[in-house]
Amino acid sequence: MTDQTESLKSESAEVTDWERLAPMALVFMLLATIQKFVRENLFLFAGAGFGVAVFDFLDAWKLALLAFALFLIGLVSTMIYHRRFRFRIEDDAVRVRRGLLEKKELRVRFARVQSVQIGQPFYFKPFDLVRFTLETPGGQQSEVELPGIPKALAESMRDRIIGLQDVPPPVKEHHDDQIEQEDQRQNHLIGSSLYSASAWQLFRHGLSSNQIWLLAGVAAWFFGSFSERIGDWASDQGWFNWVTSHFDQLWLFAGGAVLAGLAFLLALSGLLAIVRFYGFRLSDRGDRLVGVGGLLDQREQTVKREKITGLTVKQSALGRLLRCWQIVIRQTSSIEVDMPGQKKSFIVPGLYDRDRALVSDLVPNWTFPGQDDNGDDNGYQAIHHRFRRVFWKRSCAVAIALIGLWVWRIGSGLLEVLLPLTVLLVILAGIHIRWRQWGWSIRDHQLWVRQGFLGRSHDVFDLDRVQQAQIRQSRYQRRHELANLVLVLPQGPVTVPYLSLDDAANLANQAIYAAETSSMHRV
Amino acid sequence: MNEPVETFSNQPVAPMSLPDYRDAKLNPVVPAYLRHKIATTIAFWGVFIVLSLVSPYLPFIDFNLSKYPAAIAAVIMLSSLLFARWDAHRRGWALREHDLIYQSGVIFRKQVILPFARIQHVETLSGPIERHFDLMRVKCFTAGGVSADLVVEGLATETAGQVRRYLLEQIRDDESEPSSGQSTVTLDEDDD
Repeated sequence: MTDQTESLKSESAEVTDWERLAPMALVFMLLATIQKFVRENLFLFAGAGFGVAVFDFLDAWKLALLAFALFLIGLVSTMIYHRRFRFRIEDDAVRVRRGLLEKKELRVRFARVQSVQIGQPFYFKPFDLVRFTLETPGGQQSEVELPGIPKALAESMRDRIIGLQDVPPPVKEHHDDQIEQEDQRQNHLIGSSLYSASAWQLFRHGLSSNQIWLLAGVAAWFFGSFSERIGDWASDQGWFNWVTSHFDQLWLFAGGAVLAGLAFLLALSGLLAIVRFYGFRLSDRGDRLVGVGGLLDQREQTVKREKITGLTVKQSALGRLLRCWQIVIRQTSSIEVDMPGQKKSFIVPGLYDRDRALVSDLVPNWTFPGQDDNGDDNGYQAIHHRFRRVFWKRSCAVAIALIGLWVWRIGSGLLEVLLPLTVLLVILAGIHIRWRQWGWSIRDHQLWVRQGFLGRSHDVFDLDRVQQAQIRQSRYQRRHELANLVLVLPQGPVTVPYLSLDDAANLANQAIYAAETSSMHRV
Repeated sequence: MNEPVETFSNQPVAPMSLPDYRDAKLNPVVPAYLRHKIATTIAFWGVFIVLSLVSPYLPFIDFNLSKYPAAIAAVIMLSSLLFARWDAHRRGWALREHDLIYQSGVIFRKQVILPFARIQHVETLSGPIERHFDLMRVKCFTAGGVSADLVVEGLATETAGQVRRYLLEQIRDDESEPSSGQSTVTLDEDDD
């Protein structure tokens, strides 16, 4: 009887232990739903003129009505989702119950967590609420996301997850001691600062990031899809007459407009980076790294050092001009191609050339391969020159065949021959650049792989993290005793093409030996 | 009381002295694998060829396929059969003390070396046609995405079961002291 009563008591305690999200979380969920809907349907809307067809078929008020109906559906479903959402903190895990039509219960052990994120959108700030996110190695998306929980609760969960039992608790006996202990505790929590980015550095990061091309793509789609309507509208406004009366040569105006548009997009990209990373600072807290930044949505990202499986140090083509780098901290991921908006990678933005030394602060013993005075990397071994030769040969063969076909079918002219030859020269130069960018360097069981075209990226990882080694050979490569080496890592594969077969086999043997003698857990 | 401290050594290891995966002798796939490939290829393309040949003579149905697609399908089928033969001859696998080696591919050849310490889960798979030919695949799951999973094809059902059991044992024992990894492991095989 007693057992039954206790069991009932514990059951009822279990039921009451479940916590709900704050009402403000509804705003976050609704915004996230809209964002997801737009992201998933943008391509459908843009593709095959579907968007234009919708705009032609529906007038403004019907369109507004449709948008309102969609909004209402989104609002009601989000409200139900929010109402059903429950979470519970256990000794060694967090448990979440959620679902709209189908109820799901998820339990994530703290030991499996590889990254903790605490974000505070500006509308959560007055209520002292935050968004708490956990990531585990197997998750396609963030495994657990608790939007709208009290900041203090999120911080205590973070401390439990990353094992802060060694932090001295506050003392209440003597006032001076208490202050001293609290200072020690705060120092422990804050850690030593490794890097902080100024607004200018963040602006440079925005200029050089690939976001500019994303924005340019959206702008091109918009103007492409609605060019006729925009043209009609501009004509109605009398803009065409104004342009033709002020500019004798229309191409000059068009060129200027494109340049102005590009400059606007660049400035926008820079400003977006400032908004995203505002006040970014990276701290070393012993066994973990913490990055904090963001203007409208301040995020604190915590990563355990032992869960770092590699680093990518990269710069885009514009980044090379601006000498701007970024470091991406790599962790186990089941996503092979990281799509924008899927997972928030841990990025250290806006680094100068000299800041690349940060690599050894992030992961002790990892050092950037040697650089000369011009900042070029000379610590890498090149891949085999046959990489360049084989692609040169193939490009030339295709170009000659195409020129021959052109001359045979259409007729010979200087322009018809010169134009493809010029294109061919550009392609050959591109192949040469691509070949020169490939490089690899091994030292103390850490492998660096450099690749790129106009931009450049360096991947570094310890060989004992390798999950499997693959040796791939085409017929051509077998004939010349060459091979592509693919090392599959927890964060995805890294390829080194066109190595001599002996080099590829040696690297594969070393990687396999390191993996087999490593005492590390499977991930 | 102090715990006895083990003697720690950290001698450099020359890459050339490490066990070379190329020294492992690969086991060929069972002959039934080629028969299975031939059967599935003929079944796939044969239906199309027969349909196009028979269609002009079908009563009451106005459905007449041209003979050209049938000829093209026949050429593709013959090439696929030839390709399957080469593929079966070049496919091979080997178990070493600490890893599994698998080779596949005709034009683009691939050798995969998968350490047992990195396998998360193992399963065996077989479809109805494979079961008819007494074949089974062994699938090894690792971290690093779907492309990192290794599927070993061309094993007899019994061998696949033995490989699976062996791999699971190795996964359980992976905390034991690793040795050189040089020797190749042989299983009691009952190939057809």
